[in-house]
Amino acid sequence: MRINIVHRETWLHHTNPSVKLLLLLVLFVAVVFIHNPNVLINLTIGFFILFIAYTGYPLKYVMLFFLPFLFIFISTASSMILFGNGETTWFRWGVIHITEESFYRGVHLGFRALIFALLGLTFALTTRPVYLFYSLMQQLKLKPKYAYSFLAAVRLVPIMIEEFQTVHQALKVRGVADERGIRGKLELMKRYAIPLLSQSIRRAQRIAVAMEAKRFTNERKRTFYYEMKLSKYDVLFFLYVLIVTLIAYYLAIAHPYLLIKDVR
Amino acid sequence: MERVAYVENLRLKFPGKERLLFKDLSISFAKGEKVLLLGPSGCGKSTLLQVLAGLIPHSIEVPMKAKKIKIPERFGYVFQDPDSQFCMPYVDEEIAFVLENLCVPRHEMNERIHDLLNLVHLSLETPHTNIQTLSGGMKQRLAIASVLALEPDVLFLDEPTALLDEEGTKAIWQTIKTLAADRTVIIVEHKIEYVLDFVDRIVLFNEDGEIVADGNAHEVFTVYKQMIAEQGIWYPNIWEEYKKPITAQQPFHSPVPLLRIEHLRGYRQKQEKIYVEHITIHSGEWIAVTGENGAGKSTLLQAMMKLIPTDGTFEWCGQPLQSEKQLLKEVAFVFQNPEFQFVTHSVYDEMAYSLRLEKRSEHEVNEKVNELLQLFHLTEQKDEHPYQLSMGQKRRLSVAASIINKHKLLLLDEPTFGQDAKNTFALLEWLEMYRQRGTTIVMVTHDEQIVKHFATRRWKIENGRLIADEQLVSEEKADVVFSK
Repeated sequence: MRINIVHRETWLHHTNPSVKLLLLLVLFVAVVFIHNPNVLINLTIGFFILFIAYTGYPLKYVMLFFLPFLFIFISTASSMILFGNGETTWFRWGVIHITEESFYRGVHLGFRALIFALLGLTFALTTRPVYLFYSLMQQLKLKPKYAYSFLAAVRLVPIMIEEFQTVHQALKVRGVADERGIRGKLELMKRYAIPLLSQSIRRAQRIAVAMEAKRFTNERKRTFYYEMKLSKYDVLFFLYVLIVTLIAYYLAIAHPYLLIKDVR
Repeated sequence: MERVAYVENLRLKFPGKERLLFKDLSISFAKGEKVLLLGPSGCGKSTLLQVLAGLIPHSIEVPMKAKKIKIPERFGYVFQDPDSQFCMPYVDEEIAFVLENLCVPRHEMNERIHDLLNLVHLSLETPHTNIQTLSGGMKQRLAIASVLALEPDVLFLDEPTALLDEEGTKAIWQTIKTLAADRTVIIVEHKIEYVLDFVDRIVLFNEDGEIVADGNAHEVFTVYKQMIAEQGIWYPNIWEEYKKPITAQQPFHSPVPLLRIEHLRGYRQKQEKIYVEHITIHSGEWIAVTGENGAGKSTLLQAMMKLIPTDGTFEWCGQPLQSEKQLLKEVAFVFQNPEFQFVTHSVYDEMAYSLRLEKRSEHEVNEKVNELLQLFHLTEQKDEHPYQLSMGQKRRLSVAASIINKHKLLLLDEPTFGQDAKNTFALLEWLEMYRQRGTTIVMVTHDEQIVKHFATRRWKIENGRLIADEQLVSEEKADVVFSK
């Protein structure tokens, strides 16, 4: 079983994975230090456009992938809105206490979560693991030992999913009932974990031996089938991020949606 | 004669084992030789191969000592399991991985990949093909292509066809024969039919890891044939010499159909993968389900047991099926990999499991389990963990545990796959014995000989459809048998 959805390759697919990764990490950190909700909302819109238009997947799937994160947005925002502290009370009922401050803080947190999700999804949808690790080896000097171990592990995932289904059927056939209670659930987890782990561990060991039999050593000197280079697309991606950020700040100052400038 | 690989006075012991696997073993290989290592399972053939390639002790840490050892400078090693020797997801990437290890410049890679794939006759639309979509035989040819990238003088082949069907096996040996010319080839293999005319030397081991015979292939094979047969090795004409149980293929019909299914459809990921208009199975039948890889044989079995989403009208012993549960109670299913269906921590508990589920008395359980332990030669192992058994024992256990509470119908997914001759025959004979007691057997198999010698009926599956349903035993013959 594999998740293989037909999609276009866009310029985002051609950016260098290491550059993309680093830039996103910088953004992740930066977003934590933004306290103006207007800026965050604008940034969200900017990255949402990137996500919808340039990941290359059909709109239906893009929205489907996005759905769980929308849920996170709502849950993050609502818990802060309903139970946070604040001075200007709007509504109070039992433990629920909505204040102006907690409302803005909730919205702010929600958008922050949304930006994380958008950036993460964009990265995941436009980066093949193989390219990522080749790029990490070439641009960021990751040791081949780690890179190829990860790639071998990625190969094991679909095999494990298949095995999981087989174990599920086998347990059904043997008459292992769904057990109730926490102890029962733990027991059931063990029933799945032991065969799956024992298969994977043995398989992993065999793959490791096979790799060494193919003269894979820990030396750094090697050639690369995929030569990952920097290109104009990386500049384009950098410019996109930069311009979105600038516009977000400009609009937040010139045309704010919310009057609050700092949620702290 | 130039020696390309040798070891003198090898001593090797697996941690936790009492005795040495090899005690002062010496063996050497000349350039260009084609050698077959034969011996019972567990005698250490594969381990020796790993020592000769230097994988032990460099990649696999096993304590060993040798007076002298020479590991070939350029060697290639092909492993048994097609699913656990690749580290990359695509065909071109996998071969490129080897080329990278050798520091082949990037601009030469595409051509080399192309040449290597041609060499092993692996014709793909594009080299950038997902390895998961290849059949087992194709995967093994890819494995050979990627070791050929190493330009080896010596090829180590560790049961490369053990997990392949007949067609895949033939193709692999064909490929190896064309490539081997001036290379030294050292082979461990249980199915020697296809290699016998290719090797010029056979080394025969006994259970204690000692060399019993070493010499010209034909001489060793003729002189030691009896011993080879006892070791459970598949040799040519084995089926002609095999004396099957006299009851085999004698019809055993009861008038009431055991299971009837109308318009059976089985789905995977919401797509219809199998459709059979009508199925009727009678007690005492042995139905062989045949067809190519991916035709839908396993899917059919899973649909018959409702393990996958299924449509259709089921009738059990003339009555409409009440629930899925009833099917699970009456029908036993044996998976290809027995490990997945073990649910307890000892052989005894494993056998007792389904009896205890039915809340039988412990006395009855004990009696029944001991009887089957004896029948399936597992008494000595009764306290061991199922995972610690040998492959043949695991298979026996999975069958024994499935049939212990007298299921009327037994579905088996390639139960003899990758088994040696001894285990295969033993298993078939047990199944036959149960069939005589009225159990119905539906079994997926690739082996024409099993169909020929044991099945009473054959289903041919193609593209998710039942395209042929033939009775292998005619009713007239049945009359003759019964009138005796």
